Amino acid sequence: MNLPILINDLKFKFSEKSEYLLNGINLEVNKGEVVAIVGYSGIGKSTLCYCISGIIPNIKKGLMSGEVLINGVSTKKMNISEISQSLGIVFQNPDTQLFSPTVEDEIAFGPENFGVLREEIEKRISESLEIVGMSKHRLKNPKKLSGGEKQLIALASVLSLKPEILIFDEVMSQLDNDSKTRIKNLILKLKKEGKSIVMVEHDFDNLDVAERVLCLNNGILNRYNDKILEI
Amino acid sequence: MTILKNNSNQLDPRSKIILVMCISTLAVFFQNIFWMIPLFIFTLLVSIFFKSNFFNLIWKFKKFIGIFVAMIFIQSIFVSGGEEILKIGNFTLISTLGIYNGVSIILRFLIIIVSASVMATSSSRDIVQGLYQWKIPYEITFMVAVAVRFLPMLKEEASDMFISLQLRGVELEKLSLRKKLNIYSYLLMPMIASVIGKAGELSLAVEMRGLRADYKRTSFKTLKLRFNDYIIMLLSVSFTFLILFFYFF
Amino acid sequence: MNISLKDVSYNYEKNNLIPTIKNLNIDISNKGFTALIGSNGSGKTTIGKLMAGILKPTKGNIFYNDENIKNMSLGSIGKNVGYIFQDPERQIFAPTVKEELTFVLKIKGFSEEEIENKAEKMLLKFRLSHLKDNFPFNLSRGEKQRLALAAVLINSPKFLILDEPTTALDIRCKEELKDILKNLLNQNIGMLVISHDYKFIDNFADRVIEISGGEIKNDHFKK
Repeated sequence: MNLPILINDLKFKFSEKSEYLLNGINLEVNKGEVVAIVGYSGIGKSTLCYCISGIIPNIKKGLMSGEVLINGVSTKKMNISEISQSLGIVFQNPDTQLFSPTVEDEIAFGPENFGVLREEIEKRISESLEIVGMSKHRLKNPKKLSGGEKQLIALASVLSLKPEILIFDEVMSQLDNDSKTRIKNLILKLKKEGKSIVMVEHDFDNLDVAERVLCLNNGILNRYNDKILEI
Repeated sequence: MTILKNNSNQLDPRSKIILVMCISTLAVFFQNIFWMIPLFIFTLLVSIFFKSNFFNLIWKFKKFIGIFVAMIFIQSIFVSGGEEILKIGNFTLISTLGIYNGVSIILRFLIIIVSASVMATSSSRDIVQGLYQWKIPYEITFMVAVAVRFLPMLKEEASDMFISLQLRGVELEKLSLRKKLNIYSYLLMPMIASVIGKAGELSLAVEMRGLRADYKRTSFKTLKLRFNDYIIMLLSVSFTFLILFFYFF
Repeated sequence: MNISLKDVSYNYEKNNLIPTIKNLNIDISNKGFTALIGSNGSGKTTIGKLMAGILKPTKGNIFYNDENIKNMSLGSIGKNVGYIFQDPERQIFAPTVKEELTFVLKIKGFSEEEIENKAEKMLLKFRLSHLKDNFPFNLSRGEKQRLALAAVLINSPKFLILDEPTTALDIRCKEELKDILKNLLNQNIGMLVISHDYKFIDNFADRVIEISGGEIKNDHFKK
């Protein structure tokens, strides 16, 4: 049985830099696990997200060695559309992930790209909205939603592709406390449904939903220890 | 953009596109003010029929009144002909021809703006779908939705930037024109950086949801051209040809 | 300096019967750190913008000392009150960090020498000296924020309004921000910080005003 995510000795640097940002990352994520990766700003957390989700090397380029296996297949051997059928990623900025005039259009976008039939799309829209608790907002204009609600719709738009793996790149950093709680509860709900989740964070208060916390420092991952990042 | 509720009397955005293109074509070809005025009145009527927000749109351009008035002067000074109404020395400041031409230019502008406001009565998703059903590739048509979504956001950001610039102690009213332009030039960089940043983030998000997947794309909502749509398209195109025929011969 | 709001109401949409801010009366002196807290949509950001003259009240008046700001231009408001947007990228304009600090001074006609002095002082104070020739958009969020602060403070306002300054900052940057703000407080620059980050505000604020539904729910002085 293949692990959802297996990373072997991943090293990466952007071409114009002289030093490796990621310098030997090893990671195993089991099915239904929530793993948090913490670290200071600028340390390479987003870059790690890009590597895990296949954005590097398929969209963004650089010098990469080692491998990232999604369900046993290397991201170097898959293209983005293959990857996005098993893995979904939600980013930090609520305002730059949505572009449609209604919530429903936004959630339909993903499945439409993959030739999903209309009845099935309808089913997925209802299901995704149900999971994130935004069914009442189906016909609203995402522009008018709060930051937290926008993130929920971004998540729903990713969920409609039915990925088993989810990557969260600092998704709560621009949200207020109530929205953060809402997202955290959602993470627990998704875990119960068997999704494997990697969440990258710089806010240590968001870690309580994770069962395993790792720390990115000096290009490698270590077990997180309260003292390691104490000021 | 106005999002209208599901109305079975809603016209397909494609018929609106044809209508707007016809009106704009006439506006571009007409040189004669006597043709433009009825066209303008017709355009206003069309906008009222579609319940578009044309008045608001025109109001947003009130800052350009200065340029319009300048048009009249420019036309008067540089284009000879017509009777002089106002003269200073050897320069004709205002002439009948100048007024005539200036007003023509203003009308042409207004006609295009007002007819474009008719497009705003369809949701961006419908316009995208309409263009897509006309076989324009999806990667191009979805730009319409992106523009509709992000242009207002960029406008708001520009406004915030302008405010924060002034709050740094820049008293615009007291500055010379040259210094004012200098200040405005500083707005370019953050605006460009903002657009590039947003474009990058959005393109990453949509690619990860399959934008460039090699599948035959399905559509959750499709548009059907109905009788009313065909009528509008037929009437628009045939009248446009007829009118142009009479205009040129 | 005193900022007072007298019977201020504000409505985002002209036809809305329920105003965002209702009949608000607040007096804030420029000494100390006042925190403005409240849930999303409570109106706290609106209050900050009203105080900085970015929004004009639909009813009521706002005074700096006894002067009604209604007729003040944004430029002259800026001489008294500085405003830091939540996203520092809305207030960065120049191609280098140093020019960011100098270009407004140039427009205002300060001498080369004065400009050089002020700029170097600010770079030092906000720990940006090593970045002075860098392209501001490549800075980290924390550094951009320091740059925005430096650029606003080079104008010597006596009061600062900061809108959710800790957004997207990691713990190190938050501590750095705290240090900088403490320094400013020691120089008698008062501030209003709009925040939902209770941890950040907790041991720091002299006064905490809680807003709910556009009205003051709670207002108490600590210490």
